[in-house]
Amino acid sequence: MTLFLHQCRGELVKLFARKRTYIGFGAFLLTEIVILFLLSLERVRAAITRVIEQSGYPANEFLSGLTLALLILLWTVFLLGSLYLALVAGDIVGKEIEDGTMRMILSRPVSRGRILAMKIVAIVVYSLVLSWFISLTALAAGLIHSGVGGLFVFAPMEKVFALHEFGPGLWRYFLASFLLGFALLSIPAIGFFFSCFDMKPAAATIITLSILFLDTILKNIPYFDSLRPYFLTARMTAWVFVFEYRIPWERILEDYVWLAAINSTLIILAWLVFMRRDFKS
Amino acid sequence: MITVDNISKSFRGRAAVEGISFEVAPGEIFGLLGHNGAGKSTTFGISLGQLHADAGRVLIDGFDVAAERHHALSRVGAIYEAPAFYDYLSGRRNLDFFVSLSGGAPPKRVAEVIDLVGLTSRIQDPVKAYSHGMRQRLALAQALLPNPSLILLDEPTEGLDPEGIHETRELIRSLRDRLGLTVVLSSHLLHEVEQLCDRVAVLQKGRLVFSGKWQQSEHAVPLWRVESEQDARPVMERFGGVVNPAGLFRLPDAADPVEILSALVAAGIGVRGFTRVVPTLEDFYLGLMKGQ
Repeated sequence: MTLFLHQCRGELVKLFARKRTYIGFGAFLLTEIVILFLLSLERVRAAITRVIEQSGYPANEFLSGLTLALLILLWTVFLLGSLYLALVAGDIVGKEIEDGTMRMILSRPVSRGRILAMKIVAIVVYSLVLSWFISLTALAAGLIHSGVGGLFVFAPMEKVFALHEFGPGLWRYFLASFLLGFALLSIPAIGFFFSCFDMKPAAATIITLSILFLDTILKNIPYFDSLRPYFLTARMTAWVFVFEYRIPWERILEDYVWLAAINSTLIILAWLVFMRRDFKS
Repeated sequence: MITVDNISKSFRGRAAVEGISFEVAPGEIFGLLGHNGAGKSTTFGISLGQLHADAGRVLIDGFDVAAERHHALSRVGAIYEAPAFYDYLSGRRNLDFFVSLSGGAPPKRVAEVIDLVGLTSRIQDPVKAYSHGMRQRLALAQALLPNPSLILLDEPTEGLDPEGIHETRELIRSLRDRLGLTVVLSSHLLHEVEQLCDRVAVLQKGRLVFSGKWQQSEHAVPLWRVESEQDARPVMERFGGVVNPAGLFRLPDAADPVEILSALVAAGIGVRGFTRVVPTLEDFYLGLMKGQ
C-alpha cells in the first residue's frame, strides 16, 4: 500500500509539474475575474437587482459576495471546467503512449492494472483539486468584491428563487462545492475511457467534449423532457439541489449513484481495453 | 536467464514474428540482428510484456513474462533507441518516478548510479535541456537502478556520435565484466555487435534464420584471395577450392595453404598475393541474407 501511494505521488508530481496545469489554474482565476468584472457592470447589476427585488427581497442584502461567488462558479465551470478536465483526462493515458513513456513504464515490474489505478487516483485528485480551487477562488473573489450577505439562488426543483442568510448560505455553498467536485468526475471518466483506446489524445478530448455538448443540447430540448433522467449532464447538476429550501437528499443520492455507476462502467471498460492493448514503438 | 520459446505475433493478419526461439545464458552478451521490420522490436516488446504473443512465451529467470510479470521483470532493465522521458521534469524526478515502479531504491544507490553514468552535475536540470547522449545515459541509469541481472537494449547506439558509440560499447562490456549482467541487444551496427556479442540471433521477415556463434556458421568460414597474373582456378579446384561470386575461394578444412601456394608456383602462375580472408559479421550477415 505504501509503495502504491508512493507511485501515485509520482503520478501526481508528473501531472502537477506540467506547465499546462499551472496555466490552467491561472486561466480559471482570470476567467473568474473577467466574470466578476462583467457582473459588476451597471447594466448587469441592475438586471440582477431587478430579479431579486421582484422576488420581494432587498437587493442590497442579497446581491452579495456569496451570490456573485455562485454565479462566477457556475459560469467558470460551464465555460472552462469541462474543457480542462476533458483535456487532462484525454491525455492521461494517450499522451504517455504517444510520447513513448508508456513503453518505459511497461518495462517495469508493475501490472497494467496498477498503472491504470495510479492514473485514476491522479485524475480524481486533479479533478477535485481543480473544482474546489474554482469554488474557493470564486468565493474569495465574490467576498472581496461585494462583502458578506445572503445568498440569492434559483432553486431548480421548486422552480423559484431561494434566499439563504449568509451563514446557512455559506454552508450550502461549501456543500455544493464539495458535491460539484464529485459530479464533475464523470467528465474525466469519459476522457479516461477514450484515452485508453488506440487514438490520439486530442481525439479522446474532442470526443469527450462532443459527448458532453451533445448531451447538454439534447437535454435542453423540450421534446426530450421525459428522457431527462437519462442525460448525463442532467445527473451532473444534482449538486445545485442543495440550494433548495429543503435539500432533497434522496434525489441527490440517486443522481450520484447513477453517476458512480456510469463512471465505474467506463473505468472497467477502459481497463479491459488497456489490458488487451499492444504497445508498439 | 531468458528463454524465448516459440513466440508468434501478427498485426492485422500480417506475421511480425513466427515461431522464434532462442536462449540467452547468464553473463552472455547476445545480439539480435535483422533488417527493419524483421521482428526485433516485436521480440523485445513480447519479452517485456508490452505486446501480447499470439503463441509461445518468454521466460526470464524461469518466470513467464505474461503470467508472472512482477517476478519476471523485477530484475530487468530496458533501454530503447529513443528513450522517452518527461521532458519538463528533472533527470532526478524522472529516475525517482521510474524506480518507484520497480519498488524504489535507497537515495545512496540512486546517487551511485547517477555518478556511474556521469550525470551528477546535470541531474537536477530538466530533461528537455539534455543532449541525445545525456538522455541515453539517463536511460541507462533508469535501467540500472532496479539492480538488474538482465539488460535489454534496443538499438542502444542509434543516433550517437562515434565517441558516444565507443563509450556505450565500453559501458556494455563493463556491465557484463564488472557487474556480471546478461545483455541482450539489437542493433543495425554490425561492427558493434561483432565486437560485443558472444552469440547472435538473426531474424528475417519475422523468422529466425540463425542463432548461435556466428563464427562457427558455414557462412563464416575463412576464404582465400589469390591475386595472380594467370587464372588460379584450376589449381585451386584441384585442392577442393570453390570460388564464390566475389572471386574468393573456400577451401576444405584439411587443405594446406603452403602446399597450395607451392602448387600455384609450380604451375607457373605468377602469384602476387595469397591471403586468408576472415569474414566479418557483415560478411556473415549478408551471406546469410542472400542465402535465404
